[in-house]
Amino acid sequence: MSTETAHTPNYDDAVTKKFLIASVTWGAVGMLVGVICALQLAWWPANLNVPWLTFGRLRPLHTNAVIFAFTGNFIFAAMYYSMQRLLKTRMFNDVLSQVHFWGWQSIIVAAAITLPAGLSQSKEYAELIWPIDIAIAVIWVVMAVNFFGTIAIRKVKHLYVAIWFYMSMVITIAVLHIVNSLVLPASATVSYPVFSGITDALVQWWYGHNAVGFLLTTPILGLMYYFVPKTAGRPVYSYRLSILHFWGLVFLYIWAGPHHILYSSLPDWAQTTGVVFSVMLLAPSWGGMLNGLLTLRGAWDKLRTDPLLKFWVVAITFYGMSTFEGPMMSIRAVNALSHFTDWTIGHVHSGALGWVGMAAFATFYYMVPKLWNNQLYSVKAATLHFWLATIGIVLYVMAMWTAGITQGLMWRELDADGQLQYPNFMDTVLQLIPLYWIRLVGGTMYLVGLLVMAWNLVKTASGVAPKDGPEQVTAAPESLPTPAK
Amino acid sequence: MSKTQDQVLGHGDECDGIEEYDNDLPAWWVGLFILTVVGGIGYAINYHFVSETSQLAQYQAEMAEAEAQWPAMDMTATVVVTEEMLAEGKDLYMTNCIGCHGPEMKGGIGPDLTDAEWVHGGTFNEIQNTISKGVPEKGMLSWEPILGPQKVQKVTAYVHAAGGGQ
Ligand code: HEM
Ligand code: HEM
Repeated sequence: MSTETAHTPNYDDAVTKKFLIASVTWGAVGMLVGVICALQLAWWPANLNVPWLTFGRLRPLHTNAVIFAFTGNFIFAAMYYSMQRLLKTRMFNDVLSQVHFWGWQSIIVAAAITLPAGLSQSKEYAELIWPIDIAIAVIWVVMAVNFFGTIAIRKVKHLYVAIWFYMSMVITIAVLHIVNSLVLPASATVSYPVFSGITDALVQWWYGHNAVGFLLTTPILGLMYYFVPKTAGRPVYSYRLSILHFWGLVFLYIWAGPHHILYSSLPDWAQTTGVVFSVMLLAPSWGGMLNGLLTLRGAWDKLRTDPLLKFWVVAITFYGMSTFEGPMMSIRAVNALSHFTDWTIGHVHSGALGWVGMAAFATFYYMVPKLWNNQLYSVKAATLHFWLATIGIVLYVMAMWTAGITQGLMWRELDADGQLQYPNFMDTVLQLIPLYWIRLVGGTMYLVGLLVMAWNLVKTASGVAPKDGPEQVTAAPESLPTPAK
Repeated sequence: MSKTQDQVLGHGDECDGIEEYDNDLPAWWVGLFILTVVGGIGYAINYHFVSETSQLAQYQAEMAEAEAQWPAMDMTATVVVTEEMLAEGKDLYMTNCIGCHGPEMKGGIGPDLTDAEWVHGGTFNEIQNTISKGVPEKGMLSWEPILGPQKVQKVTAYVHAAGGGQ
């Protein structure tokens, strides 16, 4: 595009490239660990009797790697790419960008060493020990200074909607991380939280839910607002809707944490607060889905040929699905069945694989040809990736729904005398093994798809002539409608 | 539908070429939003102030219902032993007790159940009591929490009959 070429020389795309490469690399590692976890649940001897390969240590390694390394680096790559172009300026300070990149990768390496070693704070998604927590806080603030500095020196007046969403992430994650990590260190690796009992649990899930909200959701909605109209060459459907659902999300998300600790010692009124705010989250979430899908109106014909749009349609659809499922699971009666079962795992991965992963792939396929100034090496391989990933998700999620509902119902089944039908927990677990194998197949397909993409992107970046002919994958918008005035 | 439908706002040059429409909010979406807000508040008011529910109240109601459907058994009442009870009791013995008392009830880790000697008493009620409460100091589990009173009674009937209780 003409505006782009005119300004390209000013932008710091080197750091974007680094974040992108890091995301794909850590993504492959993190999902490989996910596949190993899935194998261990189907067939436990896969832990090879080695302590640091056991499920309890690999599981947090998987979650940390896919959330902070894969998703984190993906968000940063997309954010550095889009915000420089939207604000028509280079990043505020190149040194800060480099410190952000190398600092973040060092944190990931530290996590990859400490978690298998069994060093953990035992708070989900906040397992890392206190010295690493301090490093995260410092690096996050470095990023925040760079981010707001760039906004301050911007060359345009208008702040596009993508930037608001990034801003909500930068501010909220800082607050959540710092409060949930408040501990009293007892040694270099051991610490005790300053909160205790149910207060600690509430703070933890206030953090946990909003890590989902402000890391796996809002920044990705933000970059959707940049990459979807760019990819489709269509105007965003509704500015009004974007304002409304943005404020709806940021206001409501923060209160929804208690839906993770329903039927606990948390007071009833606090549980109700979580339930009510979660149910109210449905419409603002669907506002994002609508704005994404309706932006594609008039571009549906491109869907057949353009794998990027296919990825976006599936991503946005899964976003809509998991944000319908989430509010339902927050209802007490439903949660009583779903809690502690694989239903939660299914919900997580329809969001994680469906929404986060597919959005990441669409974004990578868009950015790599632009950043390295080449055409995508193989559209066919990208289409293959699309089908591998989509079928993989469906297998994963369907297997987990079935497993979750089966086990949930078995737990409450009573016999004629009013006694538990399955008093032996193992009886309910053995039922799930075949479903765990299906999940393993789905997860492996998803991982293979990712590797196909990595190969395709490397070929693209190294400038090998496109395999499937010279046509462009993503056509630039031919003609945009003219302004109203 | 207002005339602003599908008209771009015109700040594309400030957004890297991305244009935005300012289309009306879909009416069903606005309806959904209002429904969840009103419904959510209504739910909270009903839960706490109208039906005055709580998780404790829910638990007590469920327990009371179960109590009515399956009244607590009087474990001291005389039991009429049926063929069915014995068959079920045998199954229970074979899955739960065989490990310590052996397939022929000749004992192993636990004592012989066929001889005339009963360490903890050999009447129906005494045997039942031993199975219910277990003998923790010697490693026998308390079976009532695991099997429930009905099944304890069935396995007692089997042991009493097959082992030659008093
Ligand atoms: C190849 C793809 C993947 C496979 C095979 C996989 C597999 C697994 C397995 C086996 C578990 C443990 C489930 C349990 O404890 O029962 C898990 C947990 C989890 N995974 Fe994945 N995963 C994959 C990709 C991802 C991605 C891309 C994300 C996020 C962006 C993700 C986020 C999570 C989270 C948050 C949990 C914890 C869920 C909870 O505690 O409720 N996974 N995954
Ligand atoms: C309106 C939106 C959403 C609501 C109201 C919601 C609600 C819920 C509920 C009720 C649970 C189960 C809690 C439990 O029983 O333990 C849950 C778990 C989870 N959800 Fe969502 N969800 C939403 C969207 C999403 C999205 C889009 C993602 C991912 C991108 C996601 C990721 C997760 C994760 C990772 C967990 C597992 C937490 C754990 O480790 O236990 N959620 N969510």
